[in-house]
Amino acid sequence: MRHIISILLQNEAGALARVASMFSTRGYNIESLSVAPTESPEVSRLTLVTIGSDQVISQINKQLLKMVDVVNMADMTLGDHIERELALVKLRLEPDQLPDMLKLTAQEGARVLDDSADNFTMELTGAANLVDDFIDRLIGRADILAVVRSGPLAIARGQQVLRSATG
Amino acid sequence: MTTATEALTAAPHPLAGKRMTGAEMVVQVLADEGVDTIFGYSGGAILPTYDAVFRHNEELRDADGQLPMPLIVPANEQGAGFMAAGYARATGRVGVCMVTSGPGATNTVTPVRDCLADSVPIVVICGQVPTHVIGTDAFQEAPVSAIMGSVAKHVFLVTDATRLESTVRTAFEIARSGRPGPVVIDIPKDVQNAIGEFRGTGLLPIKSYRQRVQDVADNALSASAAKAFFQFLGESRRPLLYVGGGVINGGAAPALRRFAERYQVPVATTLMGIGAIDTTSPLSLHMLGMHGTAYANYAVDDCDLLIAVGARFDDRVATDPGSFAPKARKIVHLDVDASEVGKVRNADWYHVGLLARDLDMLTSWGERHNVRTDTSAWLAELQANKDRYALNYDRDSELIQPNFVVEEINKHAKGEAIISTGVGQHQMWAAQYMDFREPRLWLTSGSMGTMGFGLPAAVGAQFAHPERLVIDIDGDASIRMNLGELETVTTYKLPIKIVVLNNFGDGMVRQWQKLFYKGRLSGSDKSLHRKDFVKAAQADGFEYAARLDRKADVPRVVEEFVNFDGPAFLEVIIDQDAGVYPMVGPGLSYDQMITGDFIPNRHEPDEGEEPDGSSMF
Repeated sequence: MRHIISILLQNEAGALARVASMFSTRGYNIESLSVAPTESPEVSRLTLVTIGSDQVISQINKQLLKMVDVVNMADMTLGDHIERELALVKLRLEPDQLPDMLKLTAQEGARVLDDSADNFTMELTGAANLVDDFIDRLIGRADILAVVRSGPLAIARGQQVLRSATG
Repeated sequence: MTTATEALTAAPHPLAGKRMTGAEMVVQVLADEGVDTIFGYSGGAILPTYDAVFRHNEELRDADGQLPMPLIVPANEQGAGFMAAGYARATGRVGVCMVTSGPGATNTVTPVRDCLADSVPIVVICGQVPTHVIGTDAFQEAPVSAIMGSVAKHVFLVTDATRLESTVRTAFEIARSGRPGPVVIDIPKDVQNAIGEFRGTGLLPIKSYRQRVQDVADNALSASAAKAFFQFLGESRRPLLYVGGGVINGGAAPALRRFAERYQVPVATTLMGIGAIDTTSPLSLHMLGMHGTAYANYAVDDCDLLIAVGARFDDRVATDPGSFAPKARKIVHLDVDASEVGKVRNADWYHVGLLARDLDMLTSWGERHNVRTDTSAWLAELQANKDRYALNYDRDSELIQPNFVVEEINKHAKGEAIISTGVGQHQMWAAQYMDFREPRLWLTSGSMGTMGFGLPAAVGAQFAHPERLVIDIDGDASIRMNLGELETVTTYKLPIKIVVLNNFGDGMVRQWQKLFYKGRLSGSDKSLHRKDFVKAAQADGFEYAARLDRKADVPRVVEEFVNFDGPAFLEVIIDQDAGVYPMVGPGLSYDQMITGDFIPNRHEPDEGEEPDGSSMF
């Protein structure tokens, strides 16, 4: 099953590599990984998508909590959460395709960043499956030059907040 | 961790406020941590710290010329790593290894991984090229933090000199806390040379790790958990303790013995758990698993309650996890590491906490509630199995049987000597035939299975326990891996006894090739090798160096060898065809255990199809 795991990580030399290495060492997959600092420059937040059985996910969680750099982690999939991914897409269009593409973009809620036919560029924000569907729809309708995805981000709904274990 | 109150009340460090180099700070923190031996090899990038060790030792040399922190120099940095590991395994204290950058550091990767796999606390201090040339492919540069990040419990690359002192202190804290393990500190040369003010106190802010370790330490067993545990024990007629290295690492052997004695529960240990219970105790079934005793493995097959303590259902024990302990109605698991619970087998009752405290809590709860167990019928059955399925070998052979040599060594060691080993058949014979009355006497590379472990581990153990008898029971192929350390033994006049059971090859590999590869001895036969081990030992200064090749001489020669006053080396030419039995094939269940020609087997030999060796590991 697909799980979105959020990790608060101390900003230490090599910390990100150690987390990634734990996954490869133990044979776990990383489908996507997104990292940036939080409001505190000492702590980064990773959002990681992995696929595994309940047993594997349970091991991932426990192994993460053994790592010295890991401040805290949560399996977002276990609770109600909001998932968003940003995609930037660049297409080459024939001039006569432009109206159709603008229509599709509007329908899907994407935003046009550059409307020239030679390098038609847009952004879309949504859950990963929405982004998947959008890109599927583009295939065959246009010459896709680049697909750039952030990988999903997730935040818990309601009052739940992932914090340092010590508060 | 220093709390605010402690900081106010504790006397300041006598050197607090003194200006010193980073190298001097490293040495001062080592001294504060009680380090009395450093194992290491010098080189360009660690020179400042080596110089600081030298000056520290000169300054504090006592009237007898004894140094407070002698620096023990191996032939190869891998040796230094295993010496630190041997020291740590034999004492429970943190072993220290100090090496230079590049090849010095990469040579310690094997011992670091070995220590992680067997939960052994060491701190490895590596010199690194100066900060401003990191990443330029400088001379003797290696990406130590990247390499070690995958094999150490934790690794620090210190690029900020003001954090060096607290980093070294924190490395010791991490190495010994929770589930122990190796910590690597990579220190660029300019950071070693940077001058700053020594504070004498302070740790890195790893609050979350510290809190999680504290949570486990605070997680005492509740009365209701104890009650549930004793309900299982009360319903059981055939309980079995399955005890791993966690009991030794956690200092829980005395608590385990009290529990087992009080409730008369028999104990089978893993390779790493040997010594947790006195192997000569009536309750001891010795080792279980792939090469465990037949009676220990039969007990696993027959038990109705399996109590795993500090053990992890590893593939050398739970060879086929699904059929492991098939009649156990309940499985109970105590461990300090939450990730081991449910990793291989789910437990019906588990507790993550400090084993010594938790076992004692169980013992006293049962005493307070007047719990009585009656395992006498079960123990009688096990005793009958111990007699009937006892370890045995070809006692009539003209050739020297390795088991016989180990039995003779055991007569002199009396369960009180420190025994180290390499990896392979000799390791298993030593595990099977030696007695261990106490924990921390048995030093072996269990999880990683590193050939070449025995000799340097013995060196480290002898430095930790200068008065104890230390014997390295080794194999010809294993000892070759770190043969350079023979010279280290004589250089430091260590009275270590080294016995090489020579079967001219990689015996365990051959055993598998005979069983699973139709006897094609690919790469494992060394009968054409011309090495004269006795001459090699003599060349390295061993005054006692002998070869034993007549069975009749074994008792006499082993006696003079073990009792020799000083370093001693003994090569024994053993039967090349001697195998390790019993054996549970990899991936097979215990009822498919083979016991060889000299140990009875309660199952008919399986005439089924030949197993596919290539898929086994």
